[in-house]
Amino acid sequence: MKKIYCQINKCLSCHSCEIACAIAHSKSKKLSTAINEDPLPKQLIRVEYIDESGEICNKRSIAVQCRQCEDPRCLEACITGGIYMDKESGRIMIEHERCVGCWSCIMVCPFGVIVQYEGSSKATKCDLCPSEEIPPCVRACPTKALIYCEKEEIKTGHLEY
Amino acid sequence: MKILIIGNSAASTAAIEAIRKYDKKSSIVQFSDETYPLYSRCLASYHISGKVNDRTILYRHAGFHKEMNVDLHAGIRVAEVDPKNQQIMCENRETYDYEKLLISTGSSPKIPDNIKKDIKGIFQLRTIENALAIKSYLSNVKNAVIVGGGLIGMRIAEALSICGLKVTVIIRSNRVLSQMIDLQAARIIQKALEANNIEVLTQTDITEIVSKNKRIAAVKTDQGQIINCELLVVAKGVSANTGLIASTDIKKQWGIITDENMRTNYKNVFAAGDVAETYDIVTEQHTVNALWTCAVQQGFITGYNIAGRPKAYNGSLGMNSLNFFKTSLISYGINSPKDESEYKILVDMKPDQNIYKKIVIKDNRIKGIILVGKIGNAGLLLSLLQNQSDISSFKDELLSDFFNYGTLLKYMGRSELKKYYDA
Repeated sequence: MKKIYCQINKCLSCHSCEIACAIAHSKSKKLSTAINEDPLPKQLIRVEYIDESGEICNKRSIAVQCRQCEDPRCLEACITGGIYMDKESGRIMIEHERCVGCWSCIMVCPFGVIVQYEGSSKATKCDLCPSEEIPPCVRACPTKALIYCEKEEIKTGHLEY
Repeated sequence: MKILIIGNSAASTAAIEAIRKYDKKSSIVQFSDETYPLYSRCLASYHISGKVNDRTILYRHAGFHKEMNVDLHAGIRVAEVDPKNQQIMCENRETYDYEKLLISTGSSPKIPDNIKKDIKGIFQLRTIENALAIKSYLSNVKNAVIVGGGLIGMRIAEALSICGLKVTVIIRSNRVLSQMIDLQAARIIQKALEANNIEVLTQTDITEIVSKNKRIAAVKTDQGQIINCELLVVAKGVSANTGLIASTDIKKQWGIITDENMRTNYKNVFAAGDVAETYDIVTEQHTVNALWTCAVQQGFITGYNIAGRPKAYNGSLGMNSLNFFKTSLISYGINSPKDESEYKILVDMKPDQNIYKKIVIKDNRIKGIILVGKIGNAGLLLSLLQNQSDISSFKDELLSDFFNYGTLLKYMGRSELKKYYDA
């Protein structure tokens, strides 16, 4: 299945992916109005710093979002059965109607990418934007550090996990 | 192959899914003493508060057993297992043969002796049946007492408070969730409870139940209080349902003793879930961690082994998450050790924001964690705990809000991390 991968040496930590993600998850789908929404739309991708020391050009960062694990621990831990693997796409999805906000998924996610939303009452995470051909975060990446492809297509330097 | 499964909850469902991944042919016969379609027990309290309904309480869709080609005998209790003759006997005297057996009979609430069962208004909460019984009793109830301050007691308290009841929780120890968290974290949770019409009485025990016309009217405590109530829920922990192996030589202690493949001392008899005793990674002792997450993992491991795909379980550990009136909490392992001198303890506390983080370390390995308020990176800390990784080079970063996957990449490197996540 296609996933989002990040090439560390191309990531400038510009946070464009985060903004694109938040807009995609806003009500209005537009930056100018999304910033005034209450609650503020959440981004489900996060730029994380690997090395902050030294010159700007030496800083290293990655954009991390749900890794769509093959044996997802969140799915195992979910007490409602609301986290499931979509049979066709292989994506790990959350049926939000079922979520009771018990945080069992957050308790076990080894990437720390599950997010509390709706006033801390439900869990959500990246679902690779199923209605989009290319996820908005990938489209927004100015250096093409983020790519959306099959695992076999990834080049060295991209974050596999 | 003839596979037989006793129980119909977390462990057995995971086992069925794992078996059917590799083995579509073997016959699977399953027994459950309940007739309700496969549902999540953890959600029973949420059914009382209305957070889930008859549909969303179901753990899998209605056609699950058919799709998995499982012959489910619902409402049939298995009375005995005969491992020598590879047979089980049901309460209706019917017997069934097996080649491989999974015992996932779960656990039952412990009811203290001083609580009489012939008085109306006294309940326990384990099954959907219990939840429905409590729900239908609520119409004339204004005050409820809960005995026991564990996770189940707290969840019932929350549900009944949402239903508009005045709730009193009576706890023998000095804090709520004493098996899960320390006093500091308990204070924050207690504050959230008290803000929601839930009174917490610690270091208190019930001495007498006062009844009127065979209905509960009040409880008396060893502190001299008389608390009026029309409903009492007992939540004093659970014990493993091992009755069906009582007359066999299947080994048990706290639960049915299992090895790393979830096998009992009989090679073709497995146990998983609340009934199974496993190795605990943190305490390094055999124990029952009666937790949904552990049950599912054990179920998967069992399923793979039954299907002839050997897989080892590296052990269970105590871990819990909860969300009471928007106060989030996650805890793992040994987080309030008796003798603190053996441990290095990292603490970050922001009482005004209800944030509290604690990490308990021994020999540069994480042994326990408490996170209140900020829980986002909990799973990363868990993986360090589960792998018993040496954290000496980044100890100072563990409590940071920016401790994340990037931090791990920095200190552990990609190849090391990959090993981790492949495991």
